[in-house]
Amino acid sequence: MRDDNGPIPLKVVVAGGFGVGKTTLVRALSEIPPLLTEEPLTAASVGVDDIAAVPGKNTTTVAMDFGRITVDDALILYLFGTPGQDRFWFMWDELARGSVGAVVLVDLRRVEDCFPAVDYCENRQLPFVVALNDFPGTTGFSAETVREALALAPDVPVVRMDARSDGSCLATIIALVEHALERTTVAG
Amino acid sequence: MTPDEPARHTGAGRRDDRVVPVYAVTGGRTRSSGRDLPVESLVLATDRWAGDLQKEHRMIIELAGRPVSLMEVGAALRVPVGVARVLVSDLADSGYLVVHAPAPAGVGGRPAAEVLNRLLAGLRAR
Repeated sequence: MRDDNGPIPLKVVVAGGFGVGKTTLVRALSEIPPLLTEEPLTAASVGVDDIAAVPGKNTTTVAMDFGRITVDDALILYLFGTPGQDRFWFMWDELARGSVGAVVLVDLRRVEDCFPAVDYCENRQLPFVVALNDFPGTTGFSAETVREALALAPDVPVVRMDARSDGSCLATIIALVEHALERTTVAG
Repeated sequence: MTPDEPARHTGAGRRDDRVVPVYAVTGGRTRSSGRDLPVESLVLATDRWAGDLQKEHRMIIELAGRPVSLMEVGAALRVPVGVARVLVSDLADSGYLVVHAPAPAGVGGRPAAEVLNRLLAGLRAR
């Protein structure tokens, strides 16, 4: 039933703490209206068996944003905002598997909020860029300060961006793809 | 996990406007041969006549007039993506849909350089 000669889906994970701008970024770039998905609350990583047993009890609406960019006739890029709550960690694996990589959004007023996302990407060797969302009052921080604070590997790009600007969001995704490509080239 | 927690993540009224209960949509089954399909797998309708199918199946085939992901199918039908996967797998097995899985993996299961280059060119051209 699979056909590998047709259109190709790709995905990018957008991660970071609550309220850091994940939704804004996904919606800035998406050509489809925002949609919420409803997901099983329990045993989700092994399937949806429990839904049938207790209809209406075991699902919840996950405010997980996803967006779509039709790159060309046969290449479609999906952007997935990771759910913020800890109990949805199981979904990260499914989203990260086979992805291009992740954009980790950072609010410089609450840098520590991005630690779990950075740890995740490092542990899974997922290519990622750190994107400093330009909130008022944060312009004094340099990219190097953040790199040190997060103890990032030298090859991890740190970009400054504004999630409210479509062009800035696109540039951030491009930075990630360039980085992912470099990693592929180096590793291959 | 706290299943008994108040439904603060449940959008108002969403549960009520689902077309039919999930277990009815899937005929009581919650697994299928296609359960490993990634959420971004694309589905495309074939030209097989689908007028006699149940409503949810026809909705999917209509959506799949252009490539759509499992995730979009789930959101459009307001069912979990796992349920969308079952429905899509059934339709693919019966010849109503073709499923396009993600690109052949490169290093570490990541997309191959060739595909990333195409993506990069496409994004830069926007």
